[in-house]
Amino acid sequence: MSLVLDSIKINLGTVQLFKPLSLTAPPGSIVTIMGPSGCGKSTLLASICGMLDPGFSFSGAITLNGRPLNGVEMEHRKVGILFQDDLLFPHLDVFGNMAFGLPARMSRRQKRERVNNSLAAAGLEGFGPRDIATLSGGQKARVSLLRALLAEPEAILLDEPFSKLDENLRGSIKQFVFDQIGFMNIPALMVTHERSDSADGTYIELK
Amino acid sequence: MSGRRNRLKIFPALTLAVFLLPILVGLLFTWAPAFGYLSAAGSNRFSLEPFATLLHHPSLPGALRSTFISGIGASLMSLGLALWIATTLYGSRLWSTIELSLAPLLSLPHAAFAIGFSFLIAPSGWLIRSVSPFPSGFTYPPDWTTNGDPWAISLTLTMLFKETPFLLLMIFSGLSRLDVRRTIWVGRSLGYHRLRIWTRLIIPQLYPMLRLPLLAVLAYSLSVVDLAYIIGPSLPPTLAVLIDRWFHDPDISSRFVGAAGALLLLLVTLACIGSALVLEYLISKIASRKILDGRRKSPFELLVGSGSFYALILLGVNVLSLTALMLWSVAHSWRFPHFLPARFSFSNWSAALSHLLEPVSVSALAAFLSCLLAIILVVGCFENEQNLARSRIDSISQRSLWIIYLPLLIPQISFLFGIQVLLIIFNLEGSWGTLIWIHLVFVLPYVFLTLANTYRSYDQRYSYVGTSLGARPVRSFFRVKLIMLTKPILFSMAVGFGVSIAQYLPTLYVGAGRFATITTETVSLASGSDRRVMAVYALSQFLLALTGFLTAIVLPAIMFRNRRAMQN
Repeated sequence: MSLVLDSIKINLGTVQLFKPLSLTAPPGSIVTIMGPSGCGKSTLLASICGMLDPGFSFSGAITLNGRPLNGVEMEHRKVGILFQDDLLFPHLDVFGNMAFGLPARMSRRQKRERVNNSLAAAGLEGFGPRDIATLSGGQKARVSLLRALLAEPEAILLDEPFSKLDENLRGSIKQFVFDQIGFMNIPALMVTHERSDSADGTYIELK
Repeated sequence: MSGRRNRLKIFPALTLAVFLLPILVGLLFTWAPAFGYLSAAGSNRFSLEPFATLLHHPSLPGALRSTFISGIGASLMSLGLALWIATTLYGSRLWSTIELSLAPLLSLPHAAFAIGFSFLIAPSGWLIRSVSPFPSGFTYPPDWTTNGDPWAISLTLTMLFKETPFLLLMIFSGLSRLDVRRTIWVGRSLGYHRLRIWTRLIIPQLYPMLRLPLLAVLAYSLSVVDLAYIIGPSLPPTLAVLIDRWFHDPDISSRFVGAAGALLLLLVTLACIGSALVLEYLISKIASRKILDGRRKSPFELLVGSGSFYALILLGVNVLSLTALMLWSVAHSWRFPHFLPARFSFSNWSAALSHLLEPVSVSALAAFLSCLLAIILVVGCFENEQNLARSRIDSISQRSLWIIYLPLLIPQISFLFGIQVLLIIFNLEGSWGTLIWIHLVFVLPYVFLTLANTYRSYDQRYSYVGTSLGARPVRSFFRVKLIMLTKPILFSMAVGFGVSIAQYLPTLYVGAGRFATITTETVSLASGSDRRVMAVYALSQFLLALTGFLTAIVLPAIMFRNRRAMQN
């Protein structure tokens, strides 16, 4: 049930971005990867979810729940991602955004039920028909995470997810994210340059 | 500062007057003859006879058919092709190549391209020659009709190859305002494949930015005259050409049915625009249900590879047409089925030089004056906006956008005749002032739209610094802001310059035939048979438009040769 990285090396031309990285992210916990800007944190995440720019060369092995991810197309990896911007789709309402990640086999009624339950559990009861432009920063961040989790990924990556939130929101959103990931019991990898963002799991510095 | 604010307030009002007045007045005076009022023919009784004549005219059904096929066909196919290319090629190296090639592609005027394209697809054209005499077996050109075919296919294709780059330019501009890369990232992480990501996530956000450009393309395709003369059907021609012929008929009673036709064309165009808007609404209603069905992969995903093929054809046809023009202009003798001219010579150019002088200078002067006036008006409007602190919005309001696009949404021929009538009444026809004015009407929208985003994103603090260092606001404007914005200003002027060069109907109608521009001369030659002369004139049109763009590149490069920060 874990996400395993084995000797990951990423090169941009001749420059090696960081020392070979190996780690195991057990389910339900969050591995925090720290490092200064430009050290390759986002590139690492890109390589794990399968969206590495062709200019980079990659070596090493990624395994998720025993399944090798190397060379697998991004659409099939079942790895979710959360950015610092919420990236909610502006032309869909909250329900539309969240239902977008649900599988095709569910009927519309089932989808509506799922979304509403999810929203209610997150304290956003009745938010389904809302236009995302009317949401506050904290509400957007929560909907964004719910959207990613509703797609039932087997792992989730967090790319500096709290850096654009106001100081007073940070704490509650952080707790919300960590609680949800613990509840879904999937491995999570978070990159950040803020020491205070780190979770209780493993903590790695990228060099 | 309040004195300055008052002075600048005239700019939007002036711009609107320059713009809308000719259209409204022209429409009025074109409609009058449609209902029987034409003082020149001594007729001032209301009558529906022009419409009766029009509707019973034997050429009308064929004309409507060609107009619909070419107008709707070219617009729909251009939109589809442009969106397909964007969807399938976004992010690839070919996509960057396309981006770089758009400016040169768009600088080739429509008429010049049409002539070059006709050289390609003619029965004795380059394409057939490339397979003759082997393996086609042709030693004489085959007896086919490609140019001027009765179903307007060649006209449709001509417009397709010119409108697709324009729509691609609008797509590039629109995509730069969306976070495409990360939308794709999120979509793929949710399991969606390329096609579905574009149709369900990106295009719904992109289309509102394409709406007006597409409608402008639609209106243009339905009402174009110069292209239809060059490569469109002749018996019967498109409706716009039919109207033009009636307006030029020596028998003045044809003006009535011409005006009725112009009104019909206006109604047809408005109906098509209305249908496009209704269609957009219906599609978005249907799509909003389908978007959430959760199906990750489209059955058409397999066809994604075809994007590069279509893009290469698009680029290739444009390049080949231009090359065909260049070859014919320096060909001494080029018989079928030779692939290249047997003998080259510059005599085509030297012989034409003396004849080219007048049209080229007329075109250049008209274009220069209209783009200069346009930029003054446009910059004045933007500065007025700054003063009113309305520039907090970073995009033009929808209503203003529709007003700016108005001259591009109405068939030119539907109001130009009326303007000519009015000018004749006041003895103003054929004057330079009115010629520049009518060119200005069409140049303004393009200059405005090209400059808008860049101008508004100028960091106003540079000007404040200038003022705080002691310069009066006017001085700060001229010596800081204008200089810093030199490159985008010159570029939008170059776009306006090219638009003016390419104008055909406005020059003919408002100039009352007294102005020979490179475009009017080129189109009149197109009915001839000497390809060498046609090529020389078409290339002259192209080179003239190109000088505008070259100036916009070279002048800043010289001005800022020692300033690296100005080199973006």
